[in-house]
Amino acid sequence: MNEIPEGKMKHLDEMTLLLYIERQLDRARGLEVSAHTQECDVCRTLLRALERESRLLTRAMLEEDEPLPSRLAQFQERARRSMQWIWGVVFGLAATGVYALYTTYIQPWELQLEGAGFGGSNLLNLMIFQGAMWKGWQSMLTLLEVLAMVTLAGLGAMFLRRRIRRGSALALVFAGFCTVLAMPAPASATEFRKGDSVTVAKEETIKGDVYITGTRARINGTVDGDLIVFCQSLDVSGHVTGDVLTFSQSARITGQVDGNVRGANNNLTITGTVGKNVMVFEETLTLDANGKIGGSLTSFVENLGAEGGVGRDALLFFAHGSLAGKIGGGVRAKGDTLVIGPTAVIDGPVHFEGHKPPEVSPSAKLASPVEFKQMEKKSSYREGHYYVWQVIWAAAFILFGLVLFALMPKFSQEAVKSAEHYGAAAGLGVLVLFGVPIAACIACITVVGLFIGISTLFLWYASLYFAQIIVGAVIGQWLMGRTSELWPLIGRMAVGLVIVRLCTTIPHLGGWVKFAAILWGIGAISLALYRRFQPMIAPSAPYSPPMPPNTTLGGAVPA
Amino acid sequence: MNAPGKTEPTEAIARARAGDAEAWGELYREYAPAMFRFCRRALPTREDAEDATMEIFMKLKVKLVQYDATRSFSAWLYKVAANHCWDILRRRRIRQDKETGDLENVPLEHPDPSQLEMLIEQRSSEEVRKALAKMGARARMALVMRYYSDMSYDEIADELGVRRAFVGVVLLRARHELRQALESNTALAAGGAS
Repeated sequence: MNEIPEGKMKHLDEMTLLLYIERQLDRARGLEVSAHTQECDVCRTLLRALERESRLLTRAMLEEDEPLPSRLAQFQERARRSMQWIWGVVFGLAATGVYALYTTYIQPWELQLEGAGFGGSNLLNLMIFQGAMWKGWQSMLTLLEVLAMVTLAGLGAMFLRRRIRRGSALALVFAGFCTVLAMPAPASATEFRKGDSVTVAKEETIKGDVYITGTRARINGTVDGDLIVFCQSLDVSGHVTGDVLTFSQSARITGQVDGNVRGANNNLTITGTVGKNVMVFEETLTLDANGKIGGSLTSFVENLGAEGGVGRDALLFFAHGSLAGKIGGGVRAKGDTLVIGPTAVIDGPVHFEGHKPPEVSPSAKLASPVEFKQMEKKSSYREGHYYVWQVIWAAAFILFGLVLFALMPKFSQEAVKSAEHYGAAAGLGVLVLFGVPIAACIACITVVGLFIGISTLFLWYASLYFAQIIVGAVIGQWLMGRTSELWPLIGRMAVGLVIVRLCTTIPHLGGWVKFAAILWGIGAISLALYRRFQPMIAPSAPYSPPMPPNTTLGGAVPA
Repeated sequence: MNAPGKTEPTEAIARARAGDAEAWGELYREYAPAMFRFCRRALPTREDAEDATMEIFMKLKVKLVQYDATRSFSAWLYKVAANHCWDILRRRRIRQDKETGDLENVPLEHPDPSQLEMLIEQRSSEEVRKALAKMGARARMALVMRYYSDMSYDEIADELGVRRAFVGVVLLRARHELRQALESNTALAAGGAS
């Protein structure tokens, strides 16, 4: 018998009393308990309290405190069943979309970039780990590696936590992370120079990498390593055995660079020799007749004048371009106008997509005629092709949303909820949509901020798409009712997204719809982020209404 | 069975089983509010309860042919509902923190009868519902099955996958958890008021 001794009287335990009131004891034991509670005040009080607790529980549960939601007023089996084939269509389209995107955009780019000296087996490899991409950024590589590893570790943890228990997954990921970080890093000597005018004298040789910040930088001597420059004007007339990374108003390379040249400047003029590849973002890029690039040229410029030689392929984006030198590989160009001068020699095929056909001098020596493609105007609403692409894009969007929702279910739901705070989301949307890129560009001015700035810009760009997905989910919820389950939410997102995409195809108005969706969605994402990182505040006392008399125990049990 | 507490809709069930959509509509209108309330008590959010209610009726429509007409229809409905809600909670692994411990070995503190009585007397139904929302999934599910749908210990044991003898322990622990939640709500209110 489970009894608790107390003085002379042995009391019954709570479990026995509970089983007694629940009629779960056998008859003999029940009679014993009944007899005991008639004699013992303590046990009788406990028994009464338990009975009251049972009644309170029953009443609390049976009370009709909430009406049946309107969406449950009628059985909606038909609508739900119809979703099954919609899912089939969506997945089919998504698969087509991914394939089309890969073959139309990613694969040609990969091939082009591979030809341009960025050979990589896949895009991720190309973007994150490919040495050519980051060559010349070596001193910052450690930070980059850490960022890349943290990103990958986060992704790993997200994937693994579904398969392994959270603790084990984290342990595994962090063990791997620590191993990578603990791997010995190659030793390098780096020299920093700062001043109004920084000069590396003609007879001077610097062993190792050099960072230079200042108004003017002149490299007349030799840098036996990489050169990284942030200044107003740069003049390299000496010899750099490594890469040159330049961010300046005006840069001129008259000397010799054995490695790559990368950077973003106002003007870049190359009259000297670059041993490997050039990849630049400029207003004006001039490759002088005496200038020579041993590898490939990749440029995003306003005005391009290339009279010098390019050893391999050229990938060119410009407003106005002029080619008059020798190009050892093919040319893929996109811009307003292209002029191929009489002295031009191009050994590979030339593809040009522009507003006007290129002006090709009859004296120019081309391996094959220029393949010209008229740049498409956006207002191709009457073409069936346009709508096919819209469908494929919508499917790709849905797939993107599906991946994001599956990877970040909680955050996605928070963002969708935040989107319903229309005012806050719109206000924050304006701030983030315009403020973040400005802040990121400002951050790019400093060495450390460069990576933060570029990463932020990437995230900002990705969030433009995510924003439309969030808006799609909100619209889906308007139509099909709210949900907190992941897959129903993804279903609503898919339906809503199709509607958003449809609205964005409306002539003239579509652009504004898209802008509004981005503004709203990006605001919602920012609001969700803000709430997530906001410190927890202790809740204030909830309002306790005066207790009505019928809420205390002793009353009748509701039917 | 205490809810909905009406006579068995035998005729409507028979017609619905024969594919009569009108009869199915009648059954739905009759039982949907009680099912929604069951789900609302068992699941953490209103949205969950709405979705679960709809899903339960979709299941019921398929399973209706399996219903044994000699038994209580509402008891059968609650069994399906409990099964569905518990499946949802189990899938979300809400249980893991609260239920992975070896419950049988953790001693329960014996309550002071008069203090317990006072605690119960001072609480309203609304406060109990708020406290329920803070409880672990299994404890809440056990209380809902027992005190909302009046399921037997055998049925509860079957749903929760525990031994029948352990159901009393689960219910008692659930009550203790509820009392703690009620007390913490009071402490919070008192702290905020001071």
